[in-house]
Order: sequence, then C-alpha cells, then structure tokens
Amino acid sequence: MTGAVTTEQPQGVIHDIGYRHYDGPRLGRSAILTALFASSLGGVYGLGRSGKAKVLPFGLLALSLMPAFILVAVMVLTPVTEPLLDYPAYATTIQALVCIFAAAQAPVVFSRDLRYGSIVLYLARPITAAGYALARWLGLTTAIFGYLAAPVLVTYVGGLLSKLKPAEETPDAAKTLVLLLLLAAMLASIAGLISSVSVRRGFAVVGSLAVLLLGYPLVLTVQTIAHQEGALRFAEVASLASPFTLYDGLAVRWLPDYVQADQVGVPSDAAMTWTYLAASLVIVGGCLALIVWRHRRLAGR
Amino acid sequence: MSEPSVSVAGVTAHPVIETRGLTKDYGSVVALADLDLEVGGGVTGLVGANGAGKSTLIKILLGLLAPSAGAARVLGQDVATAGDDLRARLGYMPEHDCLPPDVPANEFIVHLARISGLPRAAARERAADVLRHVGLHEERYRLMGGYSTGIKQRAKLAQALAHDPELVFLDEPTNGLDPAARDDMLALVRRIGSEFGIAVLVTSHLLGELERVSDHVVVLDGGRLLRSSRTSDFLGDTGGLLVEVMGDTLDGASARDRMAAALTGAGLSCRPRHHVLAVDPPPAGLPVVHDLIRDAAVELGLGLVRVQPDHGRIEDVFREEGDWGRDH
Repeated sequence: MTGAVTTEQPQGVIHDIGYRHYDGPRLGRSAILTALFASSLGGVYGLGRSGKAKVLPFGLLALSLMPAFILVAVMVLTPVTEPLLDYPAYATTIQALVCIFAAAQAPVVFSRDLRYGSIVLYLARPITAAGYALARWLGLTTAIFGYLAAPVLVTYVGGLLSKLKPAEETPDAAKTLVLLLLLAAMLASIAGLISSVSVRRGFAVVGSLAVLLLGYPLVLTVQTIAHQEGALRFAEVASLASPFTLYDGLAVRWLPDYVQADQVGVPSDAAMTWTYLAASLVIVGGCLALIVWRHRRLAGR
Repeated sequence: MSEPSVSVAGVTAHPVIETRGLTKDYGSVVALADLDLEVGGGVTGLVGANGAGKSTLIKILLGLLAPSAGAARVLGQDVATAGDDLRARLGYMPEHDCLPPDVPANEFIVHLARISGLPRAAARERAADVLRHVGLHEERYRLMGGYSTGIKQRAKLAQALAHDPELVFLDEPTNGLDPAARDDMLALVRRIGSEFGIAVLVTSHLLGELERVSDHVVVLDGGRLLRSSRTSDFLGDTGGLLVEVMGDTLDGASARDRMAAALTGAGLSCRPRHHVLAVDPPPAGLPVVHDLIRDAAVELGLGLVRVQPDHGRIEDVFREEGDWGRDH
C-alpha cells in the first residue's frame, strides 16, 4: 500500500479486500468439545438465545431460590440456632420445580438440533457423534446441578453468615452437593434420552415430565402402602424406581444428621446402600449409552 | 507434511477427491455402485436425478457413512482412516433445512466456526467475513426463522465456509430459489472455486444448471458413473447449427415449423428446440448447409434472425449414454 493512494481515499469507505484465507491456529478436539459444552450449558439458561428463552429457566430458578432466601431470613431474624431444613431435603422439597426445569430444558439441548436438522452441521465438523452427545449431556447435567445446588449454597452461606458453625455445616453441605451431582446426572440422562428420541419439543417435555414428575409420588404412594402392609423390604426396593428416592435414600445413609420423616424406602443395610448407588449409576450409564447410540445412528443418515 | 500437495492458484496437484470401486449398499437399495471417480480443484458439478446417489457420495466423503465396499480419498487422505481431523478441512452445505430459527445467523456461524476449531476471536472475524462474502448484511443480526429461502441458502453457505475449508460440498444450493437468486447463488459458487481458491463439489438434479459454473461435470445415474469430463467437452461443437427465423404463421404452421418442413425437404434432419430449430450435421454429399438454409428462407419469405453453431448441453449425455430421461 502506498501512502499517496490511501490519503486520497475518502474516509469511511469500506473496501472489498476480497477473500482472505484463515491461517491462524485450529484447536483440537478437547477445545471444540469444551466450546460445545459451554454453549449447551448456556443454552439451557437461554444465554445466546432470544429473551423469551431466558424467561422459563430464570423464572424457575427464582422460584426455587425463594424458599432458600426465606429460610435464611428467618434464621437471621429469629433466635433459631439449627438449620431449618436439612440440605438434602431441599431437592425433594422443590422436586416438582426441578422436574419441570429438566423436562423443559433438556429439549433445548437435544431436540432442537434434531428438529431443525442442525445436527448435521455439527456432525460434518471435526467431532464424533459420541463426542457431540457427551458434551451436550455434560452441559445439561451441569445446568441441572447448578439449579439444584444454588438454593443449597444460599442456605449454607446464609446460615454461616448468621449463627451456624462452619465446622458442623461444611461436611453436610459438601456431601449434599456430591449427591446432587449424582441426582443431576440421573435427571439429565433420563430427560436427555427422551429428548434425543423425540423430535418434537412438546413430546419431549410431556414425556420427561411424565417419567420424572409422576414417578416420585407414585413410588412414595407404593412405599406408604407397603409400609402399612408391613412389607418394608418391598418399600426399600421400590425406591430404585425414581431418581429422587434413590438420592434421598443415599442421603439418609451418608449424612448422619439427616433424618427422613418416617424412614420409609431407605436402605436398611450396607448391601442395599450399594445397590442404591449402583442403580443410580446404571440409570446414568444406561441412558447415556442410549443417547450416544442414538446420535451415532443419526450420523449415518 | 509429507503429502505431495502442491497448491497453485487453488488447484491442487493431487486429486481433491478420488474413489475406487466405491459401493454403498443399503440392503434393498444400491445407492452407489462401483464408483471410480477423480475430481480436481476448481468447481466440479455433480449431476443426477434425485436418488442418483449424490448425497450418499457426499456423506461417505465426509466420513459420516461407511461404504459397503471400495475406498475414497479426500484431500489425499483415506476417509476410512483419516478420522475427524479431516473434517476440519471440509465444508458442507446440506440440501435440507438446517438452521435453528431462534438464533441470529451471526451468532450461529460464530458458534459453528468454533465447533470447527477456531478460537473465539478468529471465529467472530471469520463469521463477519463470510457473511459479507455471501451477501448477508443487516439480516445477520435477525433471527434466522424470519429469513426468506434465498437468505437461508446464503446463511447455509456461510456456515460451510466459516472455517476456511479446502474443499466444500454444496448439496443442491439452488434448491427452492427463484431464477434471479439462482443466478446469484451460481455466481457465488463460481467465485468460491476461482476467487476464493476453495475446491467445490456442487450437486444439482437440474441438468444444464451447473454447466455455466463448473470446470468439470460428473454425471451419476442410479449410483453409477455415467460420465465424468471437463465441462468444455460436454459443450463442444456438435457440428450442428441453430437456426432462428421470423415470419408469418400460415395455415397454423409457425415460421419455425415451415422452415423445418423446407429443410427436411432439402434433405436435412432437424428438430425444434424452444423457438429455434436445431439442425443436425448434414449427411455427406449435401451442398453447403448455410446456402440451403439461406435459400429455404428466401423461398418462404422468412427473415433469418440467426444461424449459429450448436454447442452441446449436458442433457445430451443422457440422450447419448443413458436412458435416465425416460425414467424420471
């Protein structure tokens, strides 16, 4: 470029400099999958999408946080010295909200690309179908975990700021977070599988809601009847049918201070506790394997 | 790199695409049958009816579909062993709708460029560049659900170019476009192959559409290779003439038809093609054809609008070598 030519050009003109090749760095698989994971996580909360898409996730988050803030306020304003609600009990208390969140937002991660055909644009890029499915699933799991963990963290931090002792609270809160991660993985796997099979968002939402939302009270009802009939072992086994009862059963065994109201459907021995853990992992692993299988099939279409 | 890849003005020395005995068998349907193909740089048109195996071929070349038999090499790498990294060098514009309606084109293409391995800042820059090249201006900030078909096709093309691939597969890019938008798209395809220096494999089920923009044309029919040659070979001089006349219609016979009758009477064979007459190369022993045509026009009192050599068209391949036209 010569200086004489550029000074003669009028200002503010955009020049067509023609096509430029890209010779910068090209990142590897892990960076690509991280980008896909981050966009899936953000997508669940409507980030990078229209304003309308943010209403539901953030509305549900506000609803689930409200009781946590009220509990903290009560603790600060009254002479209470004990946590008003055990950390693990929070997830089962807001169970309906969690299910709606998972059922409504899993299709954002899995059904959208199927419905709009955009899945093919991903599969034509340097990732495998399995890598795509895993990054998406991890994004959904993290998003649900964030949803479950937020109110627990609020009550934990709020409690410490008022009068609770960190030495007593921290182990319980930490264990609860680990169990919530397991619960989030189960919910993401079930809702993710239903969403990756269903092209239409409506079917995916209704299907996930039916399985997640109705499963829990159904198991509780069965357990109550079994309890009344004296079939305690049956009540224990029935817990294997819902992620929430599995989570709750494991929490009762792992957190010594956490006592369930009637101790129905709680593993009575170590073997049963391991069975609960194994069942939880089977739900995650089985659904995840099916999600990957489904996307592998789509790649070949 | 030990690859014998020498790139001169976008034309690679080794074939961009090479297949040997490539076969895809879906059980009851054979999508590709023993396909031997060699494709170089520039623009290559892949022509065939719907179901001729065009999309199957692209899916195999992308490494998304495993062939039943045979082998394929893309950019010098075997697709069966190359792995996912090869796709970082390829772009793909699918035939069908693939744009989520609730995202603006700008954001979607930045996102896809990152999935192709570009860092965030580079992805933004590339997205802005390719959107400008395909002619998407203010629309890029609007949700893609509101786009017209023409704009959608451009956005689809932009995502295929976002990561600056060495080879792009464009599956029916003119589908659903009106004539003006079709011409724009074909001009863009031409520019990608020449000016951008990106090898292009572009498909169409419409014969004659790609001959203007492609350097090389491959014709598939029922999964078989019907013909593969330089476009200029298709469009060579056939030895025939095109004749257009102007004049009155007499007894229901148009000027063209009266001219046809006169030429047939003079011993030439000819057939109407649109509003002109295609005159076949004259049999040996006949006087100069141009004189015959002139005399016939004078005799009938018709004005001679033009007489020009008849260049071949891709349709002629089917007339000569296949019965494709009758089946479809």
